[in-house]
Amino acid sequence: MLRYLLGRLLTTIPTLLLVSFGVFVLIRLVPGDPIVVMLGDAADAETVRTLREAYGLDQPLFTQYWLWLLRALGGDLGRSITNGADVLPLILSRFEVSAIIVVIAVALAAFISVPLGMVAAWRQNSAGDAAVIAAATLLLSIPSFWLGLLLLLAFGLKLGWVPVIGFVHFAEDWGLALAYIVLPVTTLVLVEIGVLTRMARASTIDVLRLEYITHARAKGVSEFSVLARHALPNAFAPTWTLIGLVLGNLLGGIAVVETVFTLPGLGRLLVDAIFARDYPLIQGCLLFTAVVYVLVNLVVDLCYPLFDPRVAAE
Amino acid sequence: MRKIGLIVACAAVAIGTAFAGEAVRAQTIRVAMNSDIRSTYPGVNRDSNTDWVMHHIVEGLVAFTGDGSVAPSLAESVDTPDGGKTWIFTLRAGITFHNGQPVTADDVLFSWNKYLDEATKWRCYKDFTEGNAAIESIDKKDGRTVIFMLTEPSALFLGLMARIDCAAGAIFHKDSFAADGNWSAPIGTGPYKLGEWRQGEFIELEKFAGYKPRSEPRDGYAGARVAEADKVRFVVIPDGAAAKAALLSGSIDVYPDISVNDVEELKARDDVKVDVAATMGLSGILLQTTDPLLANVKIRQALAHAIDTEGLVQALTLGNARPNNSPIPVVSAYHGTPQGALFGYDPELAHKLATEAGYKGESIKMLTTKRYQTMFDVAVLAQAMAKQAGINIEIEVLEWATMLDKYLAGDYQMMSFGYSARLDPSLSFDMFAGPKATQPRKVWDNPGAQKLIEESMRISDAGERRKIFDRLEEMFRADVPMLVLYNGPDVAAYSSKLVGYEAWMAGTPRLWGVSVAK
Repeated sequence: MLRYLLGRLLTTIPTLLLVSFGVFVLIRLVPGDPIVVMLGDAADAETVRTLREAYGLDQPLFTQYWLWLLRALGGDLGRSITNGADVLPLILSRFEVSAIIVVIAVALAAFISVPLGMVAAWRQNSAGDAAVIAAATLLLSIPSFWLGLLLLLAFGLKLGWVPVIGFVHFAEDWGLALAYIVLPVTTLVLVEIGVLTRMARASTIDVLRLEYITHARAKGVSEFSVLARHALPNAFAPTWTLIGLVLGNLLGGIAVVETVFTLPGLGRLLVDAIFARDYPLIQGCLLFTAVVYVLVNLVVDLCYPLFDPRVAAE
Repeated sequence: MRKIGLIVACAAVAIGTAFAGEAVRAQTIRVAMNSDIRSTYPGVNRDSNTDWVMHHIVEGLVAFTGDGSVAPSLAESVDTPDGGKTWIFTLRAGITFHNGQPVTADDVLFSWNKYLDEATKWRCYKDFTEGNAAIESIDKKDGRTVIFMLTEPSALFLGLMARIDCAAGAIFHKDSFAADGNWSAPIGTGPYKLGEWRQGEFIELEKFAGYKPRSEPRDGYAGARVAEADKVRFVVIPDGAAAKAALLSGSIDVYPDISVNDVEELKARDDVKVDVAATMGLSGILLQTTDPLLANVKIRQALAHAIDTEGLVQALTLGNARPNNSPIPVVSAYHGTPQGALFGYDPELAHKLATEAGYKGESIKMLTTKRYQTMFDVAVLAQAMAKQAGINIEIEVLEWATMLDKYLAGDYQMMSFGYSARLDPSLSFDMFAGPKATQPRKVWDNPGAQKLIEESMRISDAGERRKIFDRLEEMFRADVPMLVLYNGPDVAAYSSKLVGYEAWMAGTPRLWGVSVAK
């Protein structure tokens, strides 16, 4: 297991190097200059040139990349052009906000989707199954920003049950913090339930057709035990993979939800950085996102033996 | 199952109690802001939101009034005994910084020496080191008197000094800098001082108890600046719909720049008030005079007559702005009869002029962006109107930073664009006039006009300046280097619990003289 872990971690290094170089090059290929954005309509060529020098943006690209990489290897992702803040602490503080929302939302979505999908598969082609499929498809199709705004208007504005904007850290006031995250979490749960339910249903249908399930039923095992003890461990694996992908993807930033609910998360930080062409911040955010994605999927893979001991043996 | 129900019920009570507790707070005015400020270093690392906040914390020697003129702020008096070359500022007595230290001439020297140091990267550095308002020396005469000597007489000096985007040359205490010389935090003289800045969330200001206001009533950024509320919190809300919902739910008190489309809806409510003020910002369409097709003045004139300025402005602003084809804003004292005339909407004349120019129906590309919705809307309406006159415009939508690049390089045929407010007509013309060979971003390359603009910067006499501006107007309309359409309105919505909030021509929120009704 340790060898496997080390091997996987070693393979992430060239991946991250590639990501860092790719991001560095791609963002500079996009038209737009951080200094021109800073100066706006008052930008003149001479002032732009002077400020580019001051920020080191006039150096050859390879020099800029090399210097940035050397610092990044030491944990220093540079300073934001926009506000001069150190990039890594800024990313970590924003990631905390995104992570809280995402982890709670994905956990809740999984908690709801898996049993729902399994029950739908158990009652395949019934009215209940059709209803679940329809609901899942509808939720899959709804854009998250539209759903978020709808919830905001209904529960925040019309009913006044929850605050409309802002964020409070759990360490400050856990009750208030819950109030502030109810709507964004609900939005994400509803958005992700659709895809997770469909996957859970599909994999359960496949497993319920297998002979060992028929054997279990023939032995007189209750339907609950058939589903929970015999079908679930095998049906859950593909859904677990999907949960990992969803988690990794969302942890990289839920910019739309963060914008609608005014959350100071990683997604908004990245979007603002792109608009401002804040190169160090963009590079830092994307590199960080890549690291998170890789680590999350590593954890997902390491958990597989819990469901299928054969994977551990391999 | 009972246990689960109990847990859920407890959680609901906790959430409800906590949320109810949030409603009881100190007297804090909460203002929506669409993005976080860039820094607390006024005039150096800034954008318009940064200016909004910093002008509550710092003050300069002079400030803009509500009609765009300049009045003393930290200065008790401003004299120029020689017609604009020497400027003598006498500080008001008894004013202090937020740290209790008195404001002296040494502090003025300290602040201005910082600004005039190229390493500071002050936004207005070039204005005071080159050109008409270049400063030759700054000396102190006594503890409260500072003398600025310019290289030549300047009519613009005070206006440039009062520039909002340059923090009005704010005077700050030397302890605003850390021991290593880097910027730390602003210690200014404003009615509010810096409280807490939670990046990406909000920036909160606290009332400065030691503030000594001027005796004149509030007038723009000048006059009395009395902090009535204990705190002001600028809350970062990037999404317009979320900001509107926050205002209607009472989560914020002021939404300084609402969409004109929301005006009627909000005016109909009892819990919200709306205030509209004409600003000096400019919306228009740039025409690239070096483009092979648009180089012919007749095609530019054709475009001017193809667009129904009145109809366009009515459609875009729902009657909240006046049409204006002049680079001089409608609220400027120099906006008179020549400036008030509109290009006549005449599609037939437009078609005739285009034909005379040799136009054969080729597609003309207009760049725009959705980052600022009005720029996009102007492009769409202009395209439709031009089509009526037989002129084909193709719209290309770019991301804002990309469009700025093209603006800077002059790489466009037409561009739907907007300029931030320039509070003096010389600056209004100067922002887009200049030699394209060395400044490709400039729209109007006319050496004769350039000479007149430079002359207007030297002359102080209002009558003489008006004559120059009227002549420039004539030349501008003959050349048609751009189609000015209107000056955008500042539309603010605020809670009816607030007393004293007003929109004004600079389009920035002012939270002094504003209180929460009990």
